[in-house]
Amino acid sequence: MKWSQSLRIQRMHIGGHVVLIIVAAIILVPLYYVLVNAFKTDMGINMVPMGFSREYFTFESFRNVWRLLSFPKALMNSLILVVVSCAILIVSGALAGFSIAIIHNRLLRSIYTTLVLLISVPFQVILIPNIQILTALKLMNNYFGTSFLFAAINMPFTVFLYTGFMRAIPRELCEAAIVDGCGMGKTFLRIYMPLMRVVTSTVLILRGTGVWNDLLIPLATFTNEKYDPLIRRLYAFASLRFNRWDLLFAGTVLCSIPILLLFLFLQRVFIRGMLVGSIKG
Amino acid sequence: MRALRKASSFTDRWAGLGFLFVLPAVLFVVVFIVLPVILNFYLAFTNYKGFGNPYRYIGLLNFKSIFTDKSFWLVLSNTFKLLLFYVVILNIGAVFLAVRIVDMGQGFGTFIKSLLYFPCLLAQIVVGFVWRMILNYQRGLVNVSFRSLGLDFLALNWLGEKALVIPVVSLVIVWFATGYYTVIYYAGLMAISPEYYEVATLEGANGRQKFRFVTLPLLAPAITINVVLSTMGVLGAYDLPTALSAGGGPGYHGTTLALLVIRYVYENYQMGKALSVATIMAFIAVVLAYFELKLLVKREVH
Repeated sequence: MKWSQSLRIQRMHIGGHVVLIIVAAIILVPLYYVLVNAFKTDMGINMVPMGFSREYFTFESFRNVWRLLSFPKALMNSLILVVVSCAILIVSGALAGFSIAIIHNRLLRSIYTTLVLLISVPFQVILIPNIQILTALKLMNNYFGTSFLFAAINMPFTVFLYTGFMRAIPRELCEAAIVDGCGMGKTFLRIYMPLMRVVTSTVLILRGTGVWNDLLIPLATFTNEKYDPLIRRLYAFASLRFNRWDLLFAGTVLCSIPILLLFLFLQRVFIRGMLVGSIKG
Repeated sequence: MRALRKASSFTDRWAGLGFLFVLPAVLFVVVFIVLPVILNFYLAFTNYKGFGNPYRYIGLLNFKSIFTDKSFWLVLSNTFKLLLFYVVILNIGAVFLAVRIVDMGQGFGTFIKSLLYFPCLLAQIVVGFVWRMILNYQRGLVNVSFRSLGLDFLALNWLGEKALVIPVVSLVIVWFATGYYTVIYYAGLMAISPEYYEVATLEGANGRQKFRFVTLPLLAPAITINVVLSTMGVLGAYDLPTALSAGGGPGYHGTTLALLVIRYVYENYQMGKALSVATIMAFIAVVLAYFELKLLVKREVH
């Protein structure tokens, strides 16, 4: 009986492997398809759609797309948006989370509840008024205006995360700090923030890639293309020349390289961070 | 309660400073979210035409013009179709995969988890464009493969056929997002104490029964989170669908409410219609979240 049971378990395992291998293929094949075709001429993509080919091998698409996207400038724009919006997000989000976590009063509690309710407002609902607000504040076509918008959109969730994790820190720690003569600012900087490294790195990485990847906000807030980040340039370029697959393949690869590198080096942080965001929060 | 009050009195002296600490976050949220939401609801009842133009109250006129527009009803039904396809396939698929990955254990399971997770880090427009090429009628990978296998009848115009475009868009978003939800389910599964399974084994439950009577009920909180998250996510999804269906085509058959708002703003310059569709979208989001939570939380084991 034991024998047949172990056999059955083994068979189940093999079945499980097969299913997961098929799923892995469904994920991998499109990625492979893009990567392999990014190094071919347009002709080559038609002739040898799936394989490597020495005959049609070229770097030309990358060179062209680099120029067409004005890659260095667009990369700079993307980086500015990511850095500025994440800096605002972390500083204001952590400060607010700290205050809500350690001080108990009705005002802060209702602020917290309101923030939680605002987590999933669809951007379309605030798009048009935001154009009006940014125009009124003279922040259209302005790195800061767009970064403010990015920071604001991600703020409710970030405060929610920091609050949850700061509440889990034993109050005794805070009290000890007070007894030792720490003020609120010092308690925040010296005691709480060092304990929040996981949350901070999560916010940085997940919200950072979110800002990097976003199309709609730059689309709405920049009317002058000199401010456009990479993803919006790629979108504009692809909408105009969708038939140039060689350029498109190279362009998508070029715009994803930073994310790919981040993922390879920080894979654990990514997955851990996602859990931080979903379960614990 | 007494102890709590005593403890909190320790930090009470910071109450004033505490307000200063939340101020930046509150300011950003009020200026760029709360105020815009209110403004959107208000402007939907005016003939607003863009910044700088004078506008006045016109009552329900915008909504009337939306409700008499045939394409709006098509878009509304597309949106619900997408929601249904996407949320159901995604969540069933992700639960299934998470269970498989737990069964596989470390090593292979972890590898698959990372792999699955990778697509949702890519930019949505990158995913959209790549799949638009893969599904291209003439030279896309899918149709080229079908034709080379002699299965020409399966080489359909995936993104050009009115009836096909929404299901295809749903599936591509599933491809993009499954990893994210699988990881959440995976964590939910890991949190279930093995003792439940031991008891079930002692009582002679088979694999299917264990799944039905142990896994599913105990996974209910994760299911609640994921169903609500995926509903809200796909309701507002813009980048991927627009890149995939070339802006919501053919005609309005690939357009959802999220795309319609943007089309009204940037294609037709009809701010009034855009504002009222956005208002309807917010309303749908609230109603869906409310009913999903009510329905799903009831099923959770406490």
